[in-house]
Amino acid sequence: MRWSLLGTAVVLLVVFLMSQRQQIEVSYGQSPSSPDAVVEGEAGELSEATVPSVEAMTAMIDAEPVVRLPGSIARWNERVVREAIGDSDIRILVAPPGLDEAERGRVREVERATITIVGTKVSGGVYEATADAIPEWRAQFASGDVTTLLVPMIRHLQERESPAVDASFRWREPTAAELDTVTAELRANGSHVAEGATLEGVPEASEKAFPDAEALYVALPRQPFGQPVPRYGPALARTFPDRPIVVVYGSWIEYDGPGAADFAELVSAMFYAQFGTRLATYDYPQGNVLNAWLNRVTDVRYAGLFDRPLPYLPFDPVKVTMPALPWLFAACVAGFLALSARSLRRPQAARDSRHYSRLAGLTALAIEVSGLSGERSDPPLTRGIGKLRAATEALESGLPPAQVRTLLDDAENELDDTARLLGRRDYRPRNYLEGRLG
Amino acid sequence: MSASWSVWLVGGVLLAAAGVGSTLVPRLRARGVRRRVAWSTARAAIDSAAVSRDACATRVAEAERLLARAESIAADRGGVLAAEEAARCAERADRLWRAARRG
Repeated sequence: MRWSLLGTAVVLLVVFLMSQRQQIEVSYGQSPSSPDAVVEGEAGELSEATVPSVEAMTAMIDAEPVVRLPGSIARWNERVVREAIGDSDIRILVAPPGLDEAERGRVREVERATITIVGTKVSGGVYEATADAIPEWRAQFASGDVTTLLVPMIRHLQERESPAVDASFRWREPTAAELDTVTAELRANGSHVAEGATLEGVPEASEKAFPDAEALYVALPRQPFGQPVPRYGPALARTFPDRPIVVVYGSWIEYDGPGAADFAELVSAMFYAQFGTRLATYDYPQGNVLNAWLNRVTDVRYAGLFDRPLPYLPFDPVKVTMPALPWLFAACVAGFLALSARSLRRPQAARDSRHYSRLAGLTALAIEVSGLSGERSDPPLTRGIGKLRAATEALESGLPPAQVRTLLDDAENELDDTARLLGRRDYRPRNYLEGRLG
Repeated sequence: MSASWSVWLVGGVLLAAAGVGSTLVPRLRARGVRRRVAWSTARAAIDSAAVSRDACATRVAEAERLLARAESIAADRGGVLAAEEAARCAERADRLWRAARRG
């Protein structure tokens, strides 16, 4: 019983220690968004566009301060940029997006170009300008406006302070005719892909990102620079209440609908801060951009940032049992201690009544003989009485019976001697005790 | 987790203490008993030797030296070995005196 308790305690301890290396990962459930593989060209980000040879480009940039290669998309506010350049010799080479590694290398090798723009990525020498606010990203990705990137870059190359530059992006209300077209198509098949947009139907990641209601998608091509852009989101949100509405302008994604205030800006900031440079350099199809953005929405949804109830976690018996283990262990320890203490308690010295009667008998014999004893028999008698006293002490202090018996044997031998010296056989202990008992 | 950690810790210490205790206590107890038995024997032997000395008419220097040694050992109170040594000395003294008395 005691040892089985000990065994149980040890097993519990081992189980507890083994379970200590469960997992280090802490997560509100596992986000099912797919990891973003980054291999150039796999996501359709390379375009048909190409660039001439380095020599040809150098010749072109020698002839003109600003060279736009065919297919380039970057636009800027001419007046603001001209003012920023002033008299300095700044030459800008604008290349199309979606160039491959070798083509981008050729663009970099044009040394006469002070600033090169690939897609909407602005670089000058070893520097690169990046947007860091939502209005700047919106202008850059919705209409190819790089004014806010270009001006600081020019100022930096001139080693001058940069003034604050506003993006020239403006919203306008969509017209009734535009809205009717989009609304009708959204009602029919849940998405509207305008002429020139590259979205192909509703992306796969939509269901995970918006599990509560089916999302509506409007895909528009990159908006012409300098013109106000129709803002479909709020208008559509009024028409389709409680439906998530995603409007894509070029590579820019606007969200309206339920929870917009909670996560739309956050996701945009996360998404464009992470992928801004790639989106600017390459020419991704809208479907891929949208998929990556929806995965980010899913991540935020599963991150539990907004007091959402936790996703369902399957019942795990181990998690329920673990908290009880220490107390089971404690109970086993307590049981083991109790049983050990009981087994340790002073064993009751087996009082052997035979020793008492023998002691009493021998004492009586000694007293009887003492009256008869003479000079010759006194020493053994005294020694015998000494042994009897020692035996009494041993009995009273609970010494083992073997010791009592040894002392009694000694006493008996001495008394035997006494009787022998007296010449009285009837006082020999064996005979005397037998007679007494008889 | 901290409360249950202390349970494991305290439980483990108690188990170890119980293990040590359950081997040590009986051993100490047995040692005590052995010691007391040895001293009981030794004291009885010294008493017997003293009686034999008183009964002997002649002086036996060797026996007196042995008894004095046994008594001094007994006065110092020692362990089992000391008690056995004292008992051995006293018994030899006892035998010497008895032999001397028988003459």
